[in-house]
Amino acid sequence: MATTSSRAPAATLALHVEKHVHYITTLDTAKDTLSYHLSEHLRINGVYWGLTALHLLGHPEALPRDETISFVTSCLQPCGGFSSAPGHDAHLLSTVSAVQILATIDALDTIDTTLVAKWVAGLQQEDGVFAGDEWGETDTRFLYGALNCLSLLGKMELIDVEKAVEYVLRCWNTDGGFGMAPGAESHSGQIFTCVGALTIAGRLGEIDGEMLGDWLAERQLANGGLNGRPEKLEDVCYSWWVLSSLAMIGRLGWIDKEGLVGFILGCQDEKKGGISDRPNDEVDVFHTVFGLAGLSLLGYEGLQEVDPVYCMPRSVTKRVLGN
Amino acid sequence: MYQERPEWEDVIPLPQDDGALPLAQIAYTDEYAEAMSYLRALMAKDEHSERALEITEHIIEMNPAHYTVWLYRANIVFALGKDLRKEVEWLNEKALRHEKNYQIWHHRQLIIDKLDDSTGEADFIAKMFQKDAKNYHVWSYRQWLVKRFGLWEKGELEYVEYLLEQDVRNNSAWSHRFFLVCGNGQELTEEIVQRELGYVSDNIFLAPQNPSPWNYIRGILQRAKLPMSRIEKTCTYYAPLDNPEKIKSSHALDILAEIYSTIPEQKDLAIQSLDLLSSTYDPIRTNYWNYRKTQIQKAAA
Ligand SMILES: [Zn+2]
Repeated sequence: MATTSSRAPAATLALHVEKHVHYITTLDTAKDTLSYHLSEHLRINGVYWGLTALHLLGHPEALPRDETISFVTSCLQPCGGFSSAPGHDAHLLSTVSAVQILATIDALDTIDTTLVAKWVAGLQQEDGVFAGDEWGETDTRFLYGALNCLSLLGKMELIDVEKAVEYVLRCWNTDGGFGMAPGAESHSGQIFTCVGALTIAGRLGEIDGEMLGDWLAERQLANGGLNGRPEKLEDVCYSWWVLSSLAMIGRLGWIDKEGLVGFILGCQDEKKGGISDRPNDEVDVFHTVFGLAGLSLLGYEGLQEVDPVYCMPRSVTKRVLGN
Repeated sequence: MYQERPEWEDVIPLPQDDGALPLAQIAYTDEYAEAMSYLRALMAKDEHSERALEITEHIIEMNPAHYTVWLYRANIVFALGKDLRKEVEWLNEKALRHEKNYQIWHHRQLIIDKLDDSTGEADFIAKMFQKDAKNYHVWSYRQWLVKRFGLWEKGELEYVEYLLEQDVRNNSAWSHRFFLVCGNGQELTEEIVQRELGYVSDNIFLAPQNPSPWNYIRGILQRAKLPMSRIEKTCTYYAPLDNPEKIKSSHALDILAEIYSTIPEQKDLAIQSLDLLSSTYDPIRTNYWNYRKTQIQKAAA
């Protein structure tokens, strides 16, 4: 059963920086009405993905700063949370994106950060987890999101960090991974959120990095790409979640970097720019930013350094967090 | 169109203000834009009515990922005291058509919780699993049902076995088994451990390179605080180190390396297992296997 690796030769592929910049800045002119209106609930997330991709590509000016600020502030609701677009309800995930965008363009002073932080802190539940909005759907993604944005706002003292950590640890499985809720199947996306939350809380020492690293390293397939769960297909976004988790626990060296670089580069649309989930699929801004972030984390030349915890430029998190 | 219907005459639609940022602009179909502008008007006054229910259905039909509409709908359903069974039936059709959507499952959880009755849920989940037996949202919902209604011993284990007969590589089903066996704080008696060892070895036989049963039994032994050497025989059967040509499972090699690394006299066998993994049986993870080797050498020094 010997396996031979059949990965794309990374050396022959190049990163198409100008094409990606063009792809992201012209997204608005794509008149694909169906997929556009379906992603309405993701609008502010889309701005965060596009902006972060442009910063990693070294073209931070490609999205006009003033218009970005005015769009984001137009999503701020009276309660202190942000909505995905003007006139919608506030949601935690939109709020995280809003704070990340403003932090990236150094414009946190345009909002009342205390009001925002108070709204986020109010979503913490009795058992330590966070709800996404006033309706009470809870999830470790929301918990991570809350810690992400509160740390960027410098307002971690508003929440019970200890209880949040306890909740995360309850989602820890014997295979070393984390699931969406206590007892749920280990899943790379959930691992990213749990490891990210523990990192922000300064409590990574609570978990067994060897076992988790083993599970994460096992996600790499012979073609170089990484999958999200055993026996699933490789995918650029899961590659990011696995890779950044390995980086946070200090075990980035456990995967075959050249293989993964080759896989991500092979997912580019060489004509119109953008990156897809796997080779020859349709590109989107979501996989574009995570593909670029993955390349950055792998030390790919010409990209700005990414922070694995926040998926933001490292220069930004250094400025905001002061470390 | 709502603007032509008399029952909507009193509502002044609230159109979308997109702002000027290019990346944030969205081109709408006219139908969606109009329905949304009426929805916004109703939500602004928090109206709970039949026509509000109707418009949520219309928008969910066009865009089921719009979470605000779902939340508004739940509110209306409860406020009007609607028949919750009918709501579940309506949800069934939506869930089957939009497999990747998870707002549907959150809504279902709210409704079933209020109904306080899980009758029929297993049958519906079976239909979902016919489409994709690894659907994460559906599995999460199933675990919620087990906890909410105490279904630990109500045919769950048998159902997992049925799914694994269909596809032994379904990691979600293996994970659910672990949840059932360990998730309720039960004690892992020797009897249960024996049963699990037997079940796992039968399934490894069907596909020795399937990672799920290997990970599963590793977890069971760990939880029962038993040594990994309990499965040494199974490992050597699929990875005979004295006859490397006959090796059929990299996972067996991995566990053998773990077992032997704890016994000083057998550390050479551990090194041999790791070398076989990096040279032949799992070369993409060479860096990791090399790391494990240096750990063993460090411990020996
Ligand atoms: Zn993906």
